[in-house]
Amino acid sequence: MAITSEQITQLTADLYEWSLKKIPDDTHAALAAAVPRETNDTGRKTLTIMLKSADAAHETGGLVCSDVGIPTYSVKIGTRVQFEGPVRQAIVDGFARMVARSDPPLLKMVTHPLTHVRGHAGKDMPIVIFDVIDDADYVDIICAPKAMGTGRWEASTNFVYPTAQDIEAYVLDTVLNAGSQACPPIVVGVGIGGTLDYAARLAKDAVLRPVGEKGGVNPDPMLADMEERLLRAINTMGFGPMGTGGDTTAMAVHVDYAASHGFVPVVVSLNCWINRRTRARIHHDGRVERIE
Amino acid sequence: MKHLTLPLTRADVEGLELGEMVVLSGCVTMSIGLPTHRRMVELLDAGKPLPVDLRDGAFMHLSCYNRERPDGGQEALYLNPTTSTRYNAYMPRLVEGAGLRLVGGKGGLDEASVQALQRQGCAYLSFLGGGCALLSQAIRRVVSVHWPEEIAQFRLLTLEVQELGPATVAIDAHGNSLYEQLRARAMARLRQERAAQVLP
Repeated sequence: MAITSEQITQLTADLYEWSLKKIPDDTHAALAAAVPRETNDTGRKTLTIMLKSADAAHETGGLVCSDVGIPTYSVKIGTRVQFEGPVRQAIVDGFARMVARSDPPLLKMVTHPLTHVRGHAGKDMPIVIFDVIDDADYVDIICAPKAMGTGRWEASTNFVYPTAQDIEAYVLDTVLNAGSQACPPIVVGVGIGGTLDYAARLAKDAVLRPVGEKGGVNPDPMLADMEERLLRAINTMGFGPMGTGGDTTAMAVHVDYAASHGFVPVVVSLNCWINRRTRARIHHDGRVERIE
Repeated sequence: MKHLTLPLTRADVEGLELGEMVVLSGCVTMSIGLPTHRRMVELLDAGKPLPVDLRDGAFMHLSCYNRERPDGGQEALYLNPTTSTRYNAYMPRLVEGAGLRLVGGKGGLDEASVQALQRQGCAYLSFLGGGCALLSQAIRRVVSVHWPEEIAQFRLLTLEVQELGPATVAIDAHGNSLYEQLRARAMARLRQERAAQVLP
């Protein structure tokens, strides 16, 4: 059997809608777990309000955040999959379908980068990154709308033969710079090495890794140590929930790397506390499996 | 939790303490448009009145989906804060020129704005980013919509709200900013961590 364009359109529309109306379960659990640990009174109250608001959105079918951002899709295609009809256009259509049917309607957030004219769609929207999975008979799609709260504070640089300390200092400076403005507690994704574009991709994949037990400890002990050190240092800073004080500035730090030359690009990707992310698979028999 | 009802006196606002949580009732004016801010400041600079009298009132960086109903009335479906620092350049003039008592959004304002808030007797409230579902429960009615040629969230919109919040007093009317205090402390703590070699 082949996967049809209509199936892709329907699923990408659904993924975008789900991501706007419910925070991921792992993120809800991480926020809830932070409440009893939080020693700052304002921080603890703010975490409680966050959970209350997220629950209200889920229960009423409302939006978690009015800034619906720009949708980004990470699409991994199994090499044993066959398609009936276009794939990229089907995703563009899914985005348009979601905008047209959304209740409540969405604010215009997609912005022309030179004229600043806003709309619901625009050139290269939604942003889609394709990859393949060898020998799989399904398509795996993650939708993660990106808004201005965190998008504005993400950063990249290029080191030459850096030490791990240089890289960690850069990550911490990026988080310090974002401070109270990125809607903490944040998730931090770090991509190291490869080329600049590849490091950005690693950082994006890292930020979308599930938080907590489901995400697991990084199998590379060197990276696991780095993640632990960075998380502790970030939470020592004290910005806290919504940046009005507290111990919970980050929920997680996820690091990945690729081999590189002597030049080492580093990209820091951030997600805000609502950590928008949905994921599903379309199997070659047409079955849709919702993963997150 | 403190309940505030607009309009507010200078004394009301000077009584607010950093970190205190409040809910807000009455008329709140809002926009997240940079062009809107520019237009407001141009009117003030030209000595002309703003479309809405904001004296002793509240102007917030809240984005709101508002539209005309089929019967010709206006409705607002939801609202949510945006990052205020984007409007730093306009806020000192706006706060003092319009005679504001409360401003707000999320993420705070810069030092020049903090000084203007102090001179004017105005405080900054931090609303929950991603707090759309909770904050929208406070919407009671649309009082006025100005500059409807702009996209929804850029219009100058006044809503009547009941118990909007909770919001945290993050910059008080005495020149104190939670954001400045936290940033200074964060930098000091990072230096300490590095010095103690907990961090490389």
